Amino acid sequence: MPLFKTDKKPSRGPAGRWDVVVTEDMCKACGFCLAVCPVDVFAWRRAPNKLGWFPMYTEKEENCVGCMLCYQICPDFCIDVAVKEEPAADRGSD
Amino acid sequence: MNKLAQKYLRPSQIPTKACHGCGIGMIENWLLQAIDELGLKQEDVIFGTGIGCVGRQTFATWGGDNFGATHGRALAVATGLKLAQPDKKYLIVVGDGDAASIGTSHLIHAARRNLGVTVICEDNMGYESTGGQFSPTTPAGYVTNSSPYGMAEPSFDPCDVVKAAGATFVAETTATQWHQTVKIVKKALANDGFSFVHVRFPCNENFGAYALGTRDTLKNLEWIYEHTQGRKADGSETDFTWETGIKHDASNSRPEFSKIMRDMNERVRADMAAKAAAKSARA
Amino acid sequence: MATLDLASAETLHAPWVEWERRGVKGRRILEAGTYALTEGAIAAGCRVFAGYPITPATDIAEYMSKRLPQVGGYYVQCEDELAGMHACAGASLGGLKAMTATSGPGYTLMHDAYGWSVTNEIPLVVVDAMRVGPISGITGAPGQGEFYVARYCSHGGNFETIVLSPCSVQEAFWLTIDAFNLAERFRTPVTILTDQVVSDMWEDLFVPDDYEALDFVVPRRHNLMMPFYPVGSADIDVAPNVIGHGTGVCVSAYTHTEEGYDIEEMEAQWAQTYRLVNKIRHHRGECTRYETLGFEDAEVVAVAYGANARTVRTGVVEARRRGLRAGFVRPITLWPFIDELYAADRHYVVCELNYDGQLVREVTRAAPDRGKVHFMGKSAELHTVAEVVTALEGVARSGRMPELPYIWTEVR
Repeated sequence: MPLFKTDKKPSRGPAGRWDVVVTEDMCKACGFCLAVCPVDVFAWRRAPNKLGWFPMYTEKEENCVGCMLCYQICPDFCIDVAVKEEPAADRGSD
Repeated sequence: MNKLAQKYLRPSQIPTKACHGCGIGMIENWLLQAIDELGLKQEDVIFGTGIGCVGRQTFATWGGDNFGATHGRALAVATGLKLAQPDKKYLIVVGDGDAASIGTSHLIHAARRNLGVTVICEDNMGYESTGGQFSPTTPAGYVTNSSPYGMAEPSFDPCDVVKAAGATFVAETTATQWHQTVKIVKKALANDGFSFVHVRFPCNENFGAYALGTRDTLKNLEWIYEHTQGRKADGSETDFTWETGIKHDASNSRPEFSKIMRDMNERVRADMAAKAAAKSARA
Repeated sequence: MATLDLASAETLHAPWVEWERRGVKGRRILEAGTYALTEGAIAAGCRVFAGYPITPATDIAEYMSKRLPQVGGYYVQCEDELAGMHACAGASLGGLKAMTATSGPGYTLMHDAYGWSVTNEIPLVVVDAMRVGPISGITGAPGQGEFYVARYCSHGGNFETIVLSPCSVQEAFWLTIDAFNLAERFRTPVTILTDQVVSDMWEDLFVPDDYEALDFVVPRRHNLMMPFYPVGSADIDVAPNVIGHGTGVCVSAYTHTEEGYDIEEMEAQWAQTYRLVNKIRHHRGECTRYETLGFEDAEVVAVAYGANARTVRTGVVEARRRGLRAGFVRPITLWPFIDELYAADRHYVVCELNYDGQLVREVTRAAPDRGKVHFMGKSAELHTVAEVVTALEGVARSGRMPELPYIWTEVR
C-alpha cells in the first residue's frame, strides 16, 4: 500500500463526523498531511504564517473519514482529529 | 497544538527548532501517545536528551523535568539520577551520534547494568546537526558531507550492540510505523530494566540533500517507507531493508540496576544490625 | 629578634578552627589521607561516589565501596572518569550529595562534566590527587601540576571555581566537610587538590563518633520554584535544583534562561555569566582559608600549599632560628586566589611541586614588585628543609634565588 496517495478517494462511511483542526501558526509546510490523507481534506494557504511558511489548512473538513493518518504523521503537533460533538438538538429520536 | 502537546509539552518551546519535514517531532508525538495511554502524568516522566538534532530539538520541549546532557553522556547522567530518583520513568531521547558513536561506552554499560531507562535512539543515519557527516549507522557506500567518495567504513546496528551487552528490551521501528512505535514504546516503558527503541527517520536538509539527492520531504519519507517495506513504489527491491519489530524481549527478567544497589544496601545494613545485636547480647 | 613564638605568630583562617573547639565526642586513630577524605565526605552527607580507580586516589574508591552501603549510599564504579563525574552530577541533581576522586589522567577526562556542573550550578566535590608530570609522569610521586587546570576546569570561560588544598590528614577530614558545605552554598563543583603524599600518608586523625550531630554540616535543600537559575544575581545560599519533584526544571550546558532552556541572546549570556562569576567573586570572604606564620614582620615569605608546605614551613622556622626574618603563607583556598596575602612589598619565594611555574605566576600578578617574586620549583620530591633555608637566606642576602641542584628558578 503506498504511503502517499496522489489520487484521493471519494469520502464514504464516517465522513462528515470529524473535527480536523490545524494550528496554522505552527505549520512548517512539510506537506505530509495532504499527501498521506486518502480523501480530499487539505489544501495550501496562499499567504504565509508567522513562521514564514505557507501552511496547510482544512479546505474540505467534511470529507474526513477519521483515519488519523494526518495526526500521526504531522511533525509539529499541529493537527487534532476528533469526533464532532453532536449538538443537543440532534440527540435522541424525534 | 494537538491535545497531547498541550498536556505534556512546554508551550514556549513549540514549534520546535526542527527543520520542516524532520521526523523528530513525529516521533515525539508517538512518545506522548505512549505516555498518555499508560496513564502517566508529566511529573512521572523525566526526559534526558543529548547533543545533535535529536538532543537539541527535543530538549526542553518536555514540560516536566528534563536534562540535556553533554554529547553522548545522557546515560552517564541517568546512571546517577536513577539512583536518586528510582521511581520515575526515564525517556532518554538521543540520536545515532549521541548513542551509537560518542556515547557507545555508556550505552553498553547502561545495558550491562540493566539501568531502568528507555532509550529512544532516533537515527537519521548521520551527524546531521553539523551539516551531514556520516555516522556509524550510515548505510555502506552512501555519499555524505564527509564521505564524498561514498561511506567506506562498515556501519553497525546499535540494536546488536545493546542486545549483546544485556539489554532486556530491544526493538526497531521507522518513521512510517506510528502504531507499532507507540505499542513498542509502551512495552519498553513497562520493562523495569534497560529498554532500547531504535527509530530510523528522515533528514531532508542534509542526509536527504547529499545522500539521497533531494530535500523533497515526501521523497525522503518515501525512502524511509521503502526501506521499511523492502520494496520501492515500482515493485523493485531496495538496496537493503531494515528489520523492524521487537528484536529481544526479556522484560522484567533480571534485576534493575538501582534495585540491585538498594538490595545490597539492605543486606549490608541488616548484617550490621545483626552483628550489633549479637555484640550487645554478649555484653 | 628574629625568633618566633610559634603559638602567637601563627594564624589559621579556616572554619574548622572553630569546629575543633566545639568539643565533639570522637576517637583518635592512625589513618591515611584517603581515609580522612572518605570519612569527611560521609560526615558531610555524601551518599554517592561514582568514579574510576586511579593511583593515588584508588583507596578512596575502595573505602567508599565499603562505607556507602553502610550508610544507605551508593558506590558506582563507572566505565571511565567522565562517566563517573557525569553520574555524580546526575545523582546530585536527583537530590543526593555526591563526590568523585581521581588523579591527573582521570581529571583531564572530567572537563566536560565539570562544565555541565558549573553552568547548571550542581553541587559536587571532586578530589584530584595530583601526581607529578609531565603528563602521567611518576605514578607514585607528588606533584602540583593542576593548579591552573583546576581553575580553568572546563571550556568556554565565563565562570569562577572554588579549589581547596589540605596539607595533613586531619585537615583533609575537616576540609572535605567544608568543601561539601561550599558546594551546597555556592551551587558549584568544589575541587580538592591533594597529592600522593597527603593522600597516602598515615597520621593522627580525630573522627567524631556521631556524624548526625555535626551541626556545621550544610544540609541538602531542594529548590522547588522558579527561578531555577537566578541569572543576573550573585546570591549564594540559593537551594540547588532537583529533578524528580515535578518542578519542570530544564538542565543543559547552553546559555540558558531562568527556567533552564537554551537561548541565543547576548542579554542572556551576560546575565548567566554575571551569576556564575560573581556568585563566587562577590562572596570571596566566605571561601577564603589560609595559614600564615611570622607574617607581620617577615622580610622574605615562603609560599607553598599541600604536602610540600609542611617541609617549607619547617624551613621557615629553621631560618628564623638562624636569625632571618622569614615568614610563611599557605593558601588553603587556591581559587578564588587570595591576592591580599601577597600585598606587602617584600620578597616571596614560591615553592611549588612543578617546574613550569603555576602558583608563582599568580603570586607575581598579585605582588606589588615583580622583581621580588622568586620561583623554587621542584618535582617528584618534597622541598627539603635545607634547600628552603638556603633559598630564603640567599634571597634575603642578594635578592636572587641561589643555584640549587634540581631546583627550577626560571619563570617565563
